[in-house]
Amino acid sequence: MSRRLSETLIADAGHICCATCSHRLAPANGGWKRSAALSTVAVAALPGAGTNVHPEVVLRRFCCPKCGHLLDTETALPGDPFLEDIVRA
Amino acid sequence: MDPVTFSIIRHRLFRVVEEAVITLKHVSGSAITNEGHDLMVSLYQADGSLLMGGVGFLHHLTSAAEACKAIVRKFEGRINEGDLFLLNDPYTAALHTSDIYLVSPIHHDGKLVAWSACFVHVSDIGAMNPGGFAPDAQDIFTEGFSSPGIKLVERGELRQDVWDTILNMVRGPEMVALDLRSMIACNNVARVRMLALIDKYGMQTFDQACKALIDQSETRLRERLGELPDGRWQSRQYLEVKGEIYKVLLTMTKSGDTLTFDFTGSSPQSKYSVNCSKWASLGGLFAPLFPLLCYDIVWNEGVIKPITMIAPEGTIVNCTRPAPVSVATVGAIQSVNNAACSTIGKMLAASEKYAEEATAVWHANHFAIFMFGNNQRGRLAIGILTETFAGAGGARRFADGVDIGGEIPNPISRMANVETIEAQFPIRYLFRRRLTDSGGPGKYRGGTGGEMAIVAHDAPDGGIHYVVSGKGTRFPQSEGLCGGYPGGVNDYVWVHAPPKEMHNVDRFAQNLETIPGDPEPISWGVFPLMGDDALYVRWNGGGGIGDPLDRAADKVAADLEAGLISDQAARGTYGVIRQGDVLDRPATQAQRAAMRQARLATGAAK
Repeated sequence: MSRRLSETLIADAGHICCATCSHRLAPANGGWKRSAALSTVAVAALPGAGTNVHPEVVLRRFCCPKCGHLLDTETALPGDPFLEDIVRA
Repeated sequence: MDPVTFSIIRHRLFRVVEEAVITLKHVSGSAITNEGHDLMVSLYQADGSLLMGGVGFLHHLTSAAEACKAIVRKFEGRINEGDLFLLNDPYTAALHTSDIYLVSPIHHDGKLVAWSACFVHVSDIGAMNPGGFAPDAQDIFTEGFSSPGIKLVERGELRQDVWDTILNMVRGPEMVALDLRSMIACNNVARVRMLALIDKYGMQTFDQACKALIDQSETRLRERLGELPDGRWQSRQYLEVKGEIYKVLLTMTKSGDTLTFDFTGSSPQSKYSVNCSKWASLGGLFAPLFPLLCYDIVWNEGVIKPITMIAPEGTIVNCTRPAPVSVATVGAIQSVNNAACSTIGKMLAASEKYAEEATAVWHANHFAIFMFGNNQRGRLAIGILTETFAGAGGARRFADGVDIGGEIPNPISRMANVETIEAQFPIRYLFRRRLTDSGGPGKYRGGTGGEMAIVAHDAPDGGIHYVVSGKGTRFPQSEGLCGGYPGGVNDYVWVHAPPKEMHNVDRFAQNLETIPGDPEPISWGVFPLMGDDALYVRWNGGGGIGDPLDRAADKVAADLEAGLISDQAARGTYGVIRQGDVLDRPATQAQRAAMRQARLATGAAK
């Protein structure tokens, strides 16, 4: 019986899994982002970026390493840790 | 108690607040109040605790409670029937000096039984920059007068010496006088209606109903929290002022029937006026909490009890006197709003029952431009460009965010018509419209922000000046949710007109690119709008929800047709291919598959 963690993640059989393909990302109650495929893009390179966007701020895109579905995003400066979201059982 | 009587009293309390708001708007003459709805009216118990939260900027509901409590402490034994107090000190309760609280005790049979409190952002407060937002301020002492509590009306009589002193400290005193009179009228109406309610049902019954109302709110919120999953969610907001970067970091923990908002890790307080005080942060986190978790629960003291805030002293979210705070409402407080909206959205998205209530962050950054100078009638005009209240909706789990759709902390915010602003200031709008690519991409797109440009027009002094306290140009703040992208950023561009002998001015330019002159990005300080120069402003859109590659291709094509997204976004972000004006479904499918495949090649996060 799976349990919802977000729109894109579920908990199933003691693991955090991709809600689209059920790929196991990490043990439940732990951080899953390090098991995701991460791509970053400079916010300044996104369509519609303004004239004054900070050159170092990026959009981190955490994807399922199996199906390529986008699981979560966050904006960050270099060196800032991943945001950690934990849903308890 | 009898449920019918309880419901009637509850309903009447709503109506008391509503009529007081109408009074406030009708008496006020300033666009920021009666057009932008930068206001708030609420009712409080005798001890100052929140009884019935009203509409307007919701981060004032808890701060005005602190204002009432401060008056109770300060004026113990000297609070009389017919008194009215003014308080606007940010280190006592207010958010910044220009948001003045007027609080009125309500006595019944000689006994203090309740308070009515309201605020408006007054036209001016005597800060070093006109309008209240003071980017040049170095401390609270240069942000206008601030009172930790003063009696403005005593036993129904205006204290003329106090009134004259206040108006002697501000620019445009006639407008500030009208602001204050609108609030006095508002509180008078609230008091009269409250007394009529108490007279009808009796003090004992009224008191029972109020206690039951607060108990009911607490019970219902705790029950709701109990239905939501336990967990911990984070959000991070960046602000930049003149090259210095500040961070608001929030970790929200939900455990059982309680919620804790912990701002540990946020930046030390700033030398600039983007800081906020402890009470302001508390209000800042409640502003999204009220509508997102308590949309069907009365906003009162009962809602506050299950909530805890940790805000380390000396940080940007709990600064110490005399740090400047005049830009707080659109600085640290708004970042607290955004971070709380984001973490609450994540928690709701984790719930089977409440996922439909999840939202990405709405309009995350006010641009808050105050104009000042002599207008076309030769009179001093000070006021805000109310487009800052136009906002942009965050995407929901089931629908796009509403374009230019307001903001979470103020459910009734809106902007004035162009003509209203042009009548007040010597300016002319070149254009005002929805902004392409401003809504955060996602399966459901964030609502768009907008863009506009103005030039001087019929100005006796050749133009006008304006105050910009503009964060939000360097970092997107309308966070996406569950794979959605953030909304676009703000922008402020001063277009310097070419020399007279060189230019063939397009007096009706329809976008930034065709406004003649040299564009200069600006963000902080006081600037001129003189001669043929132009000011271009764009404001941020809402965050998106879900993977943009999951967005229905037809919706992407429709957005493209409407000018809400660009070709670059359609192809590069949404993976949608068109041949001419026709959607190419096979090519779109192939493009999206290729984009997903490319994501797999990026390797694991480290």
